[in-house]
Amino acid sequence: MALLEEPIKEVKVLKNYINGEWVESKGEIVDVVNPATMKTISKVPISTRDELDQAVKAAQDAYYDWRRTTPLARTRMLFRLKELLEENFEKASRIQTQEHGKCIDESRGESRRGIENVEVACGIPTLMQGYVSEDVAHGIDEYCIPTPLGVFGVIGPFNFPWMIPLWSIPYAVATGNTVVLKPSSEVPNSQQFLAELAEEAGFPPGVWNVVHGGRTVVGGMLEHPDIQGITFVGSTPVAKDVIYPGCGKSGKRVIAQAGAKNFMTIMPDCAVDQTIAGMMTSFFGNAGQRCLAAANAVVVGEDDDFYNEFVAKVVAMAKGIKVGYGLDESIQMGPLRDVSKKQNVLKYIDLGIKEGADLVLDGREFTVLGGYPDDCFVGPTVFSNVDPKSRVGAEEIFGPVMSIMRAKTLDDAIRITNENPFGNGHSIFTQNGAHARYFQYNVVSGNVGINIGITAAMAFFPFGGLKDSFFGVLHTQGKDAIRFFTDTKVVIQRWF
Amino acid sequence: MALNTCSEGISFVREMEEASAALCEEMAKLFPESAEKLQEYAKSNNKNVANVQRTYFGVITDGIEGCYAFNLEPELYAIDATLPAGVSKADALAKAIAVEETMARFYADAGEQGKGLTADVARAFTMISRKKGERVEELKALCK
Repeated sequence: MALLEEPIKEVKVLKNYINGEWVESKGEIVDVVNPATMKTISKVPISTRDELDQAVKAAQDAYYDWRRTTPLARTRMLFRLKELLEENFEKASRIQTQEHGKCIDESRGESRRGIENVEVACGIPTLMQGYVSEDVAHGIDEYCIPTPLGVFGVIGPFNFPWMIPLWSIPYAVATGNTVVLKPSSEVPNSQQFLAELAEEAGFPPGVWNVVHGGRTVVGGMLEHPDIQGITFVGSTPVAKDVIYPGCGKSGKRVIAQAGAKNFMTIMPDCAVDQTIAGMMTSFFGNAGQRCLAAANAVVVGEDDDFYNEFVAKVVAMAKGIKVGYGLDESIQMGPLRDVSKKQNVLKYIDLGIKEGADLVLDGREFTVLGGYPDDCFVGPTVFSNVDPKSRVGAEEIFGPVMSIMRAKTLDDAIRITNENPFGNGHSIFTQNGAHARYFQYNVVSGNVGINIGITAAMAFFPFGGLKDSFFGVLHTQGKDAIRFFTDTKVVIQRWF
Repeated sequence: MALNTCSEGISFVREMEEASAALCEEMAKLFPESAEKLQEYAKSNNKNVANVQRTYFGVITDGIEGCYAFNLEPELYAIDATLPAGVSKADALAKAIAVEETMARFYADAGEQGKGLTADVARAFTMISRKKGERVEELKALCK
């Protein structure tokens, strides 16, 4: 297959978008490298605290007018943005592939998911309605008004450069707040492009700001007295030890979505072929760099023949996965985002061997189709007979590594799953409804899949995990997002 | 190499439909008595592409297993949509029928393979396969 055209053709230094202006940063400039080709595609500034402060001030100044803009007028701007997102769907998708490495099908999926959040936020005139009780006492009425809060900080991760900020921003601005976004400095081009489209859609200066950077910007957001709340997606250590306590200390609202170790329970009555196809995308899609990627397959039952045949089929299909540059439409798995992430995955493969698991498919031995440098690539890897308490069976690897383990019964599988500290997206594959319901009821997980390998909630449902996968109360997307980005003002009135 | 991803399946379909449309347009010029019908077919080819793409871009989401949609060998669905100089109407129609039959088979096979994982895309394929079957019958009628 021929390579689709790369949308980013010349290396530019990205700018911050503050108060409706594209502003050069005074910070250090670092390269953004395409992990499939290892070519530098752009340069991104690591902005200063002062630059963050300018963006927050612009957002705060814009807030007073923006919150007075009618919900319908805000919606019309979102509709215009939605039109632009559709018009630029393919370009946005290819930018994601070029900067992140994921396959074009995955990028298009990410683009669509992002747009769906804009579509849901377009319902804000009704989603943001309050409620009234007449005559709570004789002649006294009481009503509740959802009101915006001010400036919100949005901190994006590297694994979904386009979609994840859109879990928050459409709802934040639709409800009358303003935002300062810090994209991941590893994949900043997607959000740069999104901000260009937001500008074209006509958002007033200061409503939608982008400040590229790293820890200084994140630390500044946490401390800043004018930032009312933060949404974050990233690792558990950062969510748990930095974002969540940081927001608590400064009295901010927080949605901190964190790491995962997702378990997939395989019942002997599952539809084997469909299950295995579903497993491929769940374990190896996005090169395993999803917080909803399955990591452990728990095969239930004591039938050795079923187990051995199942593992053999999984290995055969995984072995056939085409690894390469995601702008080739035939490619099924792209690279890890950068060299250090590959090294981390290799470390876990070594660890799995040392811990006694059987390496039945070695992702260190594979071919990159198209002859691209293998700096960031790891092939699909499968371990069998993994101890769920071993490090490879218990820790988040965030790469294309499948650990297969056994459980005697469904109860055992659920126990093994629930003993893990994460609870993001566990799933079961079965053709038995009673098994499915029992699993759904007893598993501790923010998202549950039944014959679905990637338990990604649609935009009109909340998305968030449990246990060490989530820190906060309300989740992103849908009605939860509306509540997160608004406070309730209760009015009791009497007229003499 | 096998076609596996939804994206390459869509591209494969587009190439086939474009070739089929070009064949119909060429036949319409060669055989004016059937031009109206053949041009209608060419339009329908373009509609099929639009339909499949609209469906794909409408439902492709992070939760859809787009990278593992099919396992189809493209060689089994190779079409020859070129007409030699001086071709008779009967031979041209025979070629058009062969093209449509192959495409109908591709749509049916892809629709069947993709039905578990690609939702509406597979459904669109299956529906187009049925339409292709109808066209084959119509082309056969033109031979009479």
